[in-house]
Amino acid sequence: MIDPIEQFAIKKIFTIGHIGNQEIAFTNSSAYMFGTVALISLLMIGGVAGKQLVPGRIQSMAELSYEFVANMIRSNAGREGMKFFPFVFSIFMLLAVSNLIGIIPYTFTIASHIIVTAALALLVFLTVLIYGFYKNGLKFFKLFVPSGIPIVILPLVVAIEVISFLSRPVSHSVRLFANMLAGHITLKVFASFVTMLGAFGLVGWFGAILPLALVIALTALELLVAFLQAYVFAILTCIYINDAIHPGH
Amino acid sequence: MARGLRLSSELIAGVLVGAVIGWGIDRLLSTSPFGLIVFFLLGFVAGVVNVVRSAGVAPGRTGR
Repeated sequence: MIDPIEQFAIKKIFTIGHIGNQEIAFTNSSAYMFGTVALISLLMIGGVAGKQLVPGRIQSMAELSYEFVANMIRSNAGREGMKFFPFVFSIFMLLAVSNLIGIIPYTFTIASHIIVTAALALLVFLTVLIYGFYKNGLKFFKLFVPSGIPIVILPLVVAIEVISFLSRPVSHSVRLFANMLAGHITLKVFASFVTMLGAFGLVGWFGAILPLALVIALTALELLVAFLQAYVFAILTCIYINDAIHPGH
Repeated sequence: MARGLRLSSELIAGVLVGAVIGWGIDRLLSTSPFGLIVFFLLGFVAGVVNVVRSAGVAPGRTGR
């Protein structure tokens, strides 16, 4: 039986240094992060290098990704949200490209570790919190007080709203992490059925057609999920930023 | 699967955060177990609110 969890193993490539007794290592996860950033930089720098009026292939991809994220921010957070464009664009491109790299067999998916998605979700959460207080001051608390609620049940509603607000980074990170983890484990399990059935000779080969077909279908589904989860993460970031810009609307 | 995971993660996040807050209050104020009971239930309610909002049944906080 092939171990379906093995693909998520963190392997040390070399040691950078020590903080206290804690070793700071450059792992395969860091290598894939660097690779993702390099690929995005290549796409973006290559896209703007030509500067043609009629865009070529690379330029068209760069323009499409810009337009996609820009429209997403404009429709979810309004024009004021555009000052967060670099932030949302970085998160979206990092997740989309790294998830798509993760579909390739034998690669590592960085979003399949909760610490990575939790760090990104906390970054979004703290950005919303700090910017919300910086921009609105104490009016930011209006976020927790919906209008038109009778005074009697207001404390209860405020408590629920606060817990709902605090649960955002949890669900924000767990959603992406769980989707990537579950998808890759499913793929691995069905792929291992193919090899296990193949060991039974001719009958096994015919029996292996079914899981093989499933693996192909699941790979297509995973391709969709990889992009969709990056999109969902980015769109929720926009919605949360909208709360920081316009609380109490 | 994506939709199911999305909604279930919303509910679990609400319950989890509520339980953690209740447990923390119990630890700080030694009111055990009332903080956990109250905030666990509030967390459950918040989780349901999250799910309903995320499913788009009720209008969101920002009128989405």
